[in-house]
Amino acid sequence: MIWLSWRLQRTETLVVLGVLVLLTAWLVPTGLNMWDAYQHNSLGACIVHAAPRCDVAIGLFRERFGGISSLASWFNLIPGLIGVLLAVPLVSDLENGTYRLAWTQSITRRRWLLGKVGLPVVAALLAAGGMIALFSWWRTPTAHLDGRLDSGVFDTTGTVMLGYTVFALGLALALGVVWRRTVAALAVGFVAYFAARIMVDFKVRDHLVGAVHATWRGRPPASFTNAKVLNMIATIHGHRVISGGGFLGGGVKFQAPNFKNAIFHAVYQPESHFWPLQLTETALFLGLGILLIAFAAWRVLRTD
Amino acid sequence: MTAALETHGLGKRYGSQWALRECTLEIPRGSVTALVGPNGAGKTTLLRLAVGLTRPSAGSVRVLGLDPHADAAEALPRVGFLAQEHPLYGGFTVEEMLRVGRELNPGWDDDAARARIAELDLPLKKKVRSLSGGQRAQVALTLALAKRPELLLLDEPVASLDPLARREFLQSVLEAVAEREMTVVLSSHIVADLERVCDHLVILATGRTQLAGSIEDIVASHRVLTGPRDGAEDVTRMHEVVRESHAERQTTLLVRANGHLYDSRWTVHELDLEEIVLAYLGQDAARRRQAVAS
Repeated sequence: MIWLSWRLQRTETLVVLGVLVLLTAWLVPTGLNMWDAYQHNSLGACIVHAAPRCDVAIGLFRERFGGISSLASWFNLIPGLIGVLLAVPLVSDLENGTYRLAWTQSITRRRWLLGKVGLPVVAALLAAGGMIALFSWWRTPTAHLDGRLDSGVFDTTGTVMLGYTVFALGLALALGVVWRRTVAALAVGFVAYFAARIMVDFKVRDHLVGAVHATWRGRPPASFTNAKVLNMIATIHGHRVISGGGFLGGGVKFQAPNFKNAIFHAVYQPESHFWPLQLTETALFLGLGILLIAFAAWRVLRTD
Repeated sequence: MTAALETHGLGKRYGSQWALRECTLEIPRGSVTALVGPNGAGKTTLLRLAVGLTRPSAGSVRVLGLDPHADAAEALPRVGFLAQEHPLYGGFTVEEMLRVGRELNPGWDDDAARARIAELDLPLKKKVRSLSGGQRAQVALTLALAKRPELLLLDEPVASLDPLARREFLQSVLEAVAEREMTVVLSSHIVADLERVCDHLVILATGRTQLAGSIEDIVASHRVLTGPRDGAEDVTRMHEVVRESHAERQTTLLVRANGHLYDSRWTVHELDLEEIVLAYLGQDAARRRQAVAS
């Protein structure tokens, strides 16, 4: 059964490998450039000591690599692509009626299903693991500068990609088992994956772990550095001078002389919440993915 | 010894439509049975129920004494099945298809499978997708046979084949039966083909069994009687009338006789299998028309 599942998944696996190779071919040279610039200007030391010349160096670095960094947010599509692609073997078996061939050999449906679902799940996790390793290395310089809560970094490092890939796989499997049409299941699965990701990115993620509420005057608390600010108000003599959110908190921002008497109230996710946020979001997507896969398996076992 | 296939009040419903209803039959081991009926009579449903692809909505089905669903692990290795569309993996070579059979069947007879493929001149390295319909059917049959099943179920195996491929396919089935003890059930609506291959017959119509038995008995017991218009009641009291037609002064009855027909007023003719099957199917069609009209 393993051989058959593998043979039927060969093309998809090769496509996934191809995507990973292309990704590597792009990430490695750009990543090397970034690391080179980072080390050449001793930006690592800059962050610690905050010397005046550093602002210029950091500014130049941001300017040079900002474009590449935002281009990299398109990589959010890749886990979805890989996930739905790995659902193809099972769905096309149902579409073409070849499942009847497999189910009338000597193995039970359960064993067939185990190979048919187990192998893509393993492949999805391996592909996600590879991407995580690659992106974590690539993102390290930017993460040092701006922290890890910026969604460009957050989405591609840590563990969330494991959840994303399995979730996309589950979506395409569940849709495919109901529709038995490969192309439709793939297309709709991919769109649904993207919609869910946007939803979580903009509406859910900030509330997965309780945010920190802080009030200060003058120097912000240490945890504000690189924090993801959900909402912040500054008042001077009772007058509101700033209100807003959705940016990264910096150590030197808002310390200009005219803010000297300002009182800041902020709600934010400090960078120390990176792992709790990562693990909660991973659990969320992984859980949904497993539920969808379980639904698909249940439907297949009940097929008449 | 238990029957190869046995059903009691077997029914299958899809939504509110019954695909098969109140089907009770018994197919003895070692027989080659033709399952005949018009399209939509439930032939495919019956075979799928027998191999466990589908679960019954009513009644029970047993193959070789086993429940095809609950005892799937035990029953599946002993039952071969060939679906109507001969599903195979199009992108696989013939050789890879044989490997599929080997990987999925503990009782797989690789030598026999390879010998069959060689005998049929099927190219091992060619993709299944590029084979002709007849060749694909033969690959699918090879897969079903090399599993060495005790019961082989063939669903409309020759429907999609041209006359020559049809003849070759049925010849292959006959040879396989001659080589090894095996029960075969094959469904078809082409009666002429079946008579050459089968020794038992089941007529399934409107989702119910109409007639089941050995072909020899069936041919022996069906007669056409021609006689006076007013004498029909004597016959219907004794024998089962399949079809009757009345002309001005004479009546023609097609009956399934219980015992001998002794009545000097009637002339008795024999029929061949095809005529008998058509009479049953015609009766079924008439009943369906009535059902629609009422």
